[in-house]
Amino acid sequence: MEAVNIQFAPETGTEEEWNEAYARLADYFRSYQLHNRIRRTQLILETLRRAAAAHKKDPSRTPTTHSIEQARLMMRDWLAAIYSDMNLTESQIEAAGRLGFHLSGGPSRWPNFFLDKENLPPDMREAMRSAIRTSGPGMTISRMTPREMDLGIVSEVAEDTFDRLGRHPILRYSILIGIVGGVLGYLYHLLA
Amino acid sequence: MSVIGSQTANINATAGMPPPRIARMRRATFFSFVGLGTFVGSWLMYTYLAEQGMRKAEWLLLATFLPLYYQLNVGFWTAIFGLWLMNRPKHDPLNLWRTLKPEDRDAEITASTAIIMPVFNEDVTRVFEGLRSIYLSLEQTGHSKNFDVFILSDSNQTSQWIEEETAWLELCRQLNAFGRIFYRKRRKPINRKSGNVSDFCRRWGKRYRYMIVLDADSLMSGGLLTSMVRIMEKNPGIGILQTFPKQIGAETLLGRVMQFAQALYGPPFMDGLDYWQCGEANFWGHNAIIRLEPFIKYCALPPLPGKEPFGGHILSHDFVEAALMRKAGYAVRLLPTTRGSYEEGPPTLVDMLKRDRRWCQGNMQHFWLLFAKGWHPMSRLNFAHGILSYASSLLWLLFLVFSTFLAATPVQHVNPQATLAMRILLGMTAMLIFLPKFAILLDEMITGRLHKPFKGRLLTYISSMADTVVFTLMAPVLMIFHSQFVVYTVLGKGVRWVTQRRKLDGGVDWAEVFFNLWPVTVIGVAWSVIAWMVSHSFLLWISPILAALLLAIPMGILVSGKRSGHRFGLFLTSEETEPPTVLDLMNNNLAEIKGRIHLPAELEKHHGLLQVCLDPYVNGLHVSLLRRRKSIDVSRTYLDQIADRLIKQGPNALSPQEMKAMIHDTEIMTDVHYRLWSARDSDLAPFWATAIRQYNLAASNPFTHTLAQQAETALA
Repeated sequence: MEAVNIQFAPETGTEEEWNEAYARLADYFRSYQLHNRIRRTQLILETLRRAAAAHKKDPSRTPTTHSIEQARLMMRDWLAAIYSDMNLTESQIEAAGRLGFHLSGGPSRWPNFFLDKENLPPDMREAMRSAIRTSGPGMTISRMTPREMDLGIVSEVAEDTFDRLGRHPILRYSILIGIVGGVLGYLYHLLA
Repeated sequence: MSVIGSQTANINATAGMPPPRIARMRRATFFSFVGLGTFVGSWLMYTYLAEQGMRKAEWLLLATFLPLYYQLNVGFWTAIFGLWLMNRPKHDPLNLWRTLKPEDRDAEITASTAIIMPVFNEDVTRVFEGLRSIYLSLEQTGHSKNFDVFILSDSNQTSQWIEEETAWLELCRQLNAFGRIFYRKRRKPINRKSGNVSDFCRRWGKRYRYMIVLDADSLMSGGLLTSMVRIMEKNPGIGILQTFPKQIGAETLLGRVMQFAQALYGPPFMDGLDYWQCGEANFWGHNAIIRLEPFIKYCALPPLPGKEPFGGHILSHDFVEAALMRKAGYAVRLLPTTRGSYEEGPPTLVDMLKRDRRWCQGNMQHFWLLFAKGWHPMSRLNFAHGILSYASSLLWLLFLVFSTFLAATPVQHVNPQATLAMRILLGMTAMLIFLPKFAILLDEMITGRLHKPFKGRLLTYISSMADTVVFTLMAPVLMIFHSQFVVYTVLGKGVRWVTQRRKLDGGVDWAEVFFNLWPVTVIGVAWSVIAWMVSHSFLLWISPILAALLLAIPMGILVSGKRSGHRFGLFLTSEETEPPTVLDLMNNNLAEIKGRIHLPAELEKHHGLLQVCLDPYVNGLHVSLLRRRKSIDVSRTYLDQIADRLIKQGPNALSPQEMKAMIHDTEIMTDVHYRLWSARDSDLAPFWATAIRQYNLAASNPFTHTLAQQAETALA
């Protein structure tokens, strides 16, 4: 990484906008669990410097947007250097690479080399490459299909009946009312 | 994990299948007693009713009495035979534990086994802490290298899904178990739990010789898991081996009473079932080991004729899978166990009723299979018993209704033979209901199987008396509900697939109890008035039932509360007094998580979504796992609009379908991550503005939100 230019003086955008961009970048890099504050500050300033250049070219977008976009580009460059020969697409590298950094213990073991593609330690590179995980072992497909089952004559009759009743709710409830009415009538007959 | 062939070393191809001669003799003995008891009871009833000739209502009463008395006899004799087996000096020749020799217990396990846990919107912490305990317990045996663990998710709530992913990753990281614990999420939860298991079988079934199925609330010790595999290896004739899952973790009165009753009365019933079911036992859906090759080949579930709820997809798949396995020539066996296999029960009466409604519908569906060709007769009987377990409530209700109307039109019983028959019948029925309970209690008093110290046995005695009161008050309420469930199922009113509540958050929900139980109270009031009008002696006779109906609401509140008698030493189980290591570890970790500081409620509610959108690692994990799937063809513009609304209006602005479409798309999920971080505060919904400010303060490690943070490497 190049030396940090402490004299940060963007030619476009307001102070308020750049302060907001700074705060957002601080939160963003913190979400990577980088607890080394000096390193975080270096990254923020470097990203802001790049964002200022980008904002000068395209002032229609906010400094915050440019800042996060620059952070993303830096991330892509850095991850490409690690995973370039692994036959992954750019977006796969982006997702898996972020995860790989976490799983290899990067935030605590190599915080100073985060986004630093020039000085990447070989053990960090290897740890990140081997940390890409999958959700299951290789599949060995089996067929699991139900076998024919003869449900017998009773089920056939019942199926027809239920099917007919299912298609005619009025018939279904008429039978139910008939049964209930019959029982009540019989009980009335007994009590009478 | 090395792939090991799916053929068991051929010791004796039928080992584990009880010899037909013994099975026939046992069933002949058992069902002779059952048949005799049912016949004598029915004859006594007939003698009483037929004194003045049988009227139609009396025939109906007898018709409802017969299956009820049969069921009572089955329960009674199962317990009696179980007690006899537990206490006889000679070992049961069919006991599967005897197939393991002392040297087998240390022998290396070469069979590949998958432990699978299907989950559906379950408490993520409980699922993964349970798995952690199981995994560590298994590691401690020193024979875990051929076991793999699979979490098979059908969760359809976004936050739940993301939390499962993060918990899986963190668990693997803490236990160094990458390549041993796997997570798989289905996009479409076709055919619910059985479909989830079938999907696993199709994808990975060939890699494993055995599959141990767990429920989301299951807990099993490593010792029992390895023993199950060893027993299966020694007995190639067994297709499914079912353990006895004991209930744990109850906090409410109902939960603790059921937990206690299961611990006290369960083992003899289990032994009794094993005695007469032999090689045709049932599979209860979890805490069991399955031989995968025949399971894949023969146990795929056919759809039932007709539509749900009575037809369609089979809900209670376990009984059917057991029957199919037996039909294929493999034994389905029970493994009597007292420790090592656990599950949790419903905390409240309403939760229990919800579960029962699902089970009722599942069992009623088996009506179709009763008459199918090719079943072993015992499988057919198992289906019939399953149906009867719910239909009996309707029969009992009808029995009481007929009794009420017969009491309203009384005939004089002057024949001393009829009066004597009724007295004997009453005495015999009381014996069938209470004798097993007292015999088991006496056995406990003498042997101290549950608690060795005298004080413990005394408290068990008092608890047993108290649980009789609770169950007596609950039985009529369950009768009304189960009858309703049976009628609803027949009328075509199905149930939705919902997540079971396993813990009571906060206090009792009085409104929920009231709105569910007031009809029972109304029935109780109406029936009491009728009984009073019929005769005072009849009112006295039926008063225990009516009292339970009238007290349904206060009883529902009482049993659902957390005043469970624990501080008086009531309803204690050995898992509470001497928790097994696997349970102790899980409870300690759950306690650690419970004490944590949480984010504001709104952020906590959508925590998974918040993480997948904001956290670069969680986003990376989710997108990486999605990468393995074929993406659905959804319009970019549509997804962009959804993402825009999510960012500007917050998560509540999206419908579940929109959320689902977005969360399944890799490109939009990556995009949302950067769009959120790039947006100005003024362009963000208040939810996201707060989330960005507070997230880093709360997330010391984004993956440990639902998991204990300590990296346990060994069991204490």
